[in-house]
Formats: sequence, structure tokens, C-alpha cells
Amino acid sequence: MTGLKLAGVTKSFGAVDVIKGIDLKVEHGEFCVFVGPSGCGKSTLLRIIAGLEDVTDGTIEIGGRDVTWAEPSERGIAMVFQSYALYPHMTVRDNIGFGLSLARMPKAQIAAKVGAAAELLQLTPLLDRKPRALSGGQRQRVAIGRAIVRDPAVFLFDEPLSNLDAALRAQMRLELTDLHRKIGATMVYVTHDQVEAMTMADKIVVMNAGRIEQVGTPMELYDRPATVFVAGFIGSPRMNLIDGPAAAAMGAATYGIRPEHLSLSDDGGRWRARVRHIERLGADCIVYLDVDGPGAMMARVGGADPITIGQEVGVTPDPARECRFDAQGQAVR
Amino acid sequence: MNRKTARRARIKGGLTLALFFFVFVVPFVFIALQAVKNRQESSLLNFAWPSEWVFWQNFITVISARDYMLLLAYFNSIVITVGSVTLLVIFSAMVGYVLQRRKSRLNGFVMALVLAGLMIPPAVVPTIWVLQGIGLFKTIHGMILIQVAYGLSFSILLYRAFIATIPRDLDEAARIDGAKPWQIFFRVVLPLLKPVTVTNIVVQSIGIFNDFTNPLYYLPGRRNVTVQLTVFNFQSQFSTQYNLMFMNILLVTIPPLIVFIFFNRQIVAGMTAGAIKG
Ligand SMILES: Nc1ncnc2c1ncn2[C@@H]1O[C@H](COP(=O)(O)OP(=O)(O)O)[C@@H](O)[C@H]1O
Ligand SMILES: [Mg+2]
Repeated sequence: MTGLKLAGVTKSFGAVDVIKGIDLKVEHGEFCVFVGPSGCGKSTLLRIIAGLEDVTDGTIEIGGRDVTWAEPSERGIAMVFQSYALYPHMTVRDNIGFGLSLARMPKAQIAAKVGAAAELLQLTPLLDRKPRALSGGQRQRVAIGRAIVRDPAVFLFDEPLSNLDAALRAQMRLELTDLHRKIGATMVYVTHDQVEAMTMADKIVVMNAGRIEQVGTPMELYDRPATVFVAGFIGSPRMNLIDGPAAAAMGAATYGIRPEHLSLSDDGGRWRARVRHIERLGADCIVYLDVDGPGAMMARVGGADPITIGQEVGVTPDPARECRFDAQGQAVR
Repeated sequence: MNRKTARRARIKGGLTLALFFFVFVVPFVFIALQAVKNRQESSLLNFAWPSEWVFWQNFITVISARDYMLLLAYFNSIVITVGSVTLLVIFSAMVGYVLQRRKSRLNGFVMALVLAGLMIPPAVVPTIWVLQGIGLFKTIHGMILIQVAYGLSFSILLYRAFIATIPRDLDEAARIDGAKPWQIFFRVVLPLLKPVTVTNIVVQSIGIFNDFTNPLYYLPGRRNVTVQLTVFNFQSQFSTQYNLMFMNILLVTIPPLIVFIFFNRQIVAGMTAGAIKG
């Protein structure tokens, strides 16, 4: 069974085409991340799936049912907003149970479902508080709780972690993947942060300017980026991308090699380079190089490497890891 | 330098206080003084201290005058105020919500009507014709509708500015939770409008309770008297009983004054809360 299927989805706001034709299939139980620079239409696409925006063209299927023109509440989805969108005047208990009480579920049953969700998310002691008396991470969990009690076929998350500090974000990433494993529902997660995409996704959808650039597992995108855009977007520090004559010499319009796939040597090497700057991160260090020919490049070497600024080194790419792109930015295989 | 500006600020503050004392407190003291004097002394209309205090006697006379008209007036005024403020709050919150949230081609036209309601002074005689035509002239519910119509524009503008500060995400979250549009409004949005609703209730009810001219035009008749019109009870072409008139004024001024003093802070909060992001 498919969790979610988009076919030929487009969206225009007036004369502006924001989504320019999306075809996508998300399998049942998959954790799918939409990633792309801000303004590329991720939120709009998610809101189209949720039913908060109408499509201009195309169809949406959830669990095998065409929901293109269904009301949001009838699509079998639940959404967690970036701002959490908790109802400020209701307690945590009422926030989580609001949808159920609107559906006229018996009180005892609501209490049981809210209790179970609170247990799962460790919210039980906070049930009688108002949202303003909660920390960011707790609000986040309430928003997730409100989604869980709806028993949705698809969970939608719009940059849910971007309002949290770095430490909490790492923890919530873990909690969300745990939650996904526990409840096994299809999840669609929007972020502009490629680290979140790489660490959480079963499937990553890289978007750019209203189009899908590439769909694949995190390692597929990392190893075999289909376009220059994906190559530059996925991976940190970003891939060295070289164009112009230096790339032409290597048989491509654009040539890419990741910093971790360059090796440095005292002499020899494919290119000669000088060390301009070194960032020591402990476990490894990032070396900024002025390379004769290609120009500026980054290399990632071991943390203990006794390299110094101004040193002259040889630079050699791992031939198995080189990426070549044609003039249209498509990978050449 | 710093000390000098501080002193200047204090002088300015003092002058302002003195000015407000003269504008607001002195007339009030004057009213209170006349209200406790006997008839001869009060007819002099001065600030002299009363030679005898006849507060209680004036009080009883005013209350019981013309078959307890003041009590009837209080009843009428309260019915009009409560009725029209209730309708005002519900309708203007709804209109403000729709105007702020649903962008449509009609918005500009509706906003123009709202502003017209604020800018164009109502015409009395045609309004009376209309009221007579639909059988609402000289009725309390007709008066209520008049007050709603006159107050609607102001309340809509207050609500609209405030609703702009309520994130749209909340509406959308409720929609996903399965709320119908009216449920989104009554269960999510309206409870969050509490600060501006307090402002609306207080400002409008003081205005309507204190209204003199509209009941005078649209609600004639002995049974229909409202509090502000009872002031006429002790004033006639040939003789005016100033002590009783001022006691009457005192009795109809104090309740709204108390409400105002009590809710002062919330009124300002509700007025400015919408202004920040409006
Ligand atoms: N309601 C709207 N009206 C007009 N333009 C919009 C609307 N919503 C989004 N956009 C435009 O669509 C583009 C994509 O927005 P969005 O989906 O929010 O991007 P992302 O979430 O990827 O950062 C942006 O350029 C934005 O200005
Ligand atoms: Mg977004």
C-alpha cells in the first residue's frame, strides 16, 4: 500500500508558479524528508498535502484514496506546525483532545487516548498546564501528541525543530525517529537543514525552485547526486564544485569531489596546493586550500594531522568518488 | 544637565496634573457639593460649603421622584446597554474575523462601509422614518439596534486589528483537527480575543449607558426613559431644583465611573495590543 502519492501537482499564487509539477510516491511507514533552500516551496507542498491550500493541477492520494479535494480533517493526516500552533487558552489535555471532542468521541475514550499519548511523550505531569507554562521542547511534544491522537495515516511536519536550540534539536531528532519506529506511520517532514534530512530520513526529496531535484536514500544522495544542486546541498562541509577550464580538463562541465575524498601528501598528488586556513574540529579538521588550476577547495583530514598554514601539499581525489556533471547540471555516469 | 531635564519634566508633569484637576475633578467636586446642599444654597451655584447636609433627603427625593422614574430609567438603560453590547461584541468580532482572515474582492467595499459608519454622521429624521416604517420606533429593541448600528464600526476596527495578531496557524490547526468555520471562531478565536473584548465591552457600555441624544430622538415616551434623560426631571422653564438635579447627575455618573476606573488598565491594553502588529 502506498502512504502518499502525488501526481503532476502544481500550484500557482496568481501569476507566480510556486510548485512546478511534482510526482512523488511515499511508501507506507516511510519517513520521508523534503529538503531544500528556503523559499523553494516545501511548506507550500506540505500544505497542499494537508489540504490547507488547493492544488492548481494534479492529484493527491493518501492510503490509496484520492483526497485532492477533501477537507483537511478528512484526509487522514495530522500536522505539526513550525510555531506548534497550540491553542493558548486550553490546557495541554484540551489541546491534545480538541480534535477528538470536535468529533464527539465519548469523554472516557478521549481521556484514555489523551492519557496514552501523554504517556508515550512523557507529558503526563504537564497535562493541566497551559502552553505558555511549557518549555519549547515540551510544546513541541504537545503538538506531536495532538497529531498522534488523530491516528493519522500520514504525519506532516513543517520544520518542527527550527525553534529549538541546538542541543534540544539533536535530542528531538532522536525522539522523533524513535516515535516513528514505535508507531510505524508514514511521516513527511519538511526542513531546510540537510543534517536533519540525512540523520532522520528513509527517503529524502531534494527540492529546488518548485521542482524535485532528486529522490533517494540519504546515502544514495550522498554518493551519487543526480544534479549539481544536490551535490552542493547534501553533505557538510559541502562538496568542492569546480567549473570552467579546470573541469573541462577532467571531462565535465562541472566537476565535484567531497572534502573527505581528497587526500593530502607532502609531494606528488594530482594538484599542487597551498594551505590557506585550517579549522580543527577535534576528531577531524577542515583544510582550506588554494589549488593550482581548480582554485579554492576544502579537504577533510584526520584531527591529528600535523598540517600547518602556508604549507605546500599535493592533493589527490579518490577516483571512485569523483562526480561529473554536464552543462545542464545533470550527473554524467 | 540631567538634573535640569528631570526638574523640567517634573514641572511639566505638575502642570499637566493641575490642568486635568481643573478639567475633570473641579466639576465633579462642584456637582457633589451642590448635591448635598438644600435648595436655596444650591441655587447660588457656588463652591461654598453647605450649611446643612441634606444628602439623604435629596437622595430619597431623587429616587422616588415621579413614581420612581430613576429606577425605571436604570432598568431601561441596563437592558439597552446589555443587549446592544452583547450584540455588538458578537457581530463585530465576527465581521472583524472575516475581514481579517478571508481575503476577497468584497473586502475593500466592506471596509469602506465600516469607515463610512465611523465618518458619516447619522441622519436623525430619516432614521426615525425607517424605524416607524418597520415598527421599531419608541421600542427598547429598536433602540438596541440603533446602538448596535452606531457602535459597530468602531468595534469592528478594534477587533480586526487584534485578530491580525492571532497567528493563522491556530485556525489551520483547528481546521485539521476537524473544526468547522464557526467552531474555529467560537472555540479558538473568540476566547483569545478576551483583552479586546473587555475593551469593547467597557468602552461601548459606558458610551451607550451615558448616551443622551439617541434615546432623546428615538425613544420618546414616559415608560421608555433612560438614565441620562432623568436629568430633565428637576429642570423646567421656570424653576430648576439644582440640588436635586445635581444629585441625579451624581447618581447616573457614578456607576460608569466605577466601571471605567476598574477596567482602565485593560482598556488601554486591549486598544494597544492590536496596534503593535496591526
Ligand atoms: N499565500 C501565498 N501567496 C503568495 N505567495 C506565496 C504564498 N505562500 C507562499 N508563497 C511563495 O511561495 C514560495 C515558496 O514558499 P514556501 O513554500 O513557504 O517555501 P519554503 O517552505 O520552502 O521556505 C515563496 O517564494 C513564497 O513567497
Ligand atoms: Mg517553510
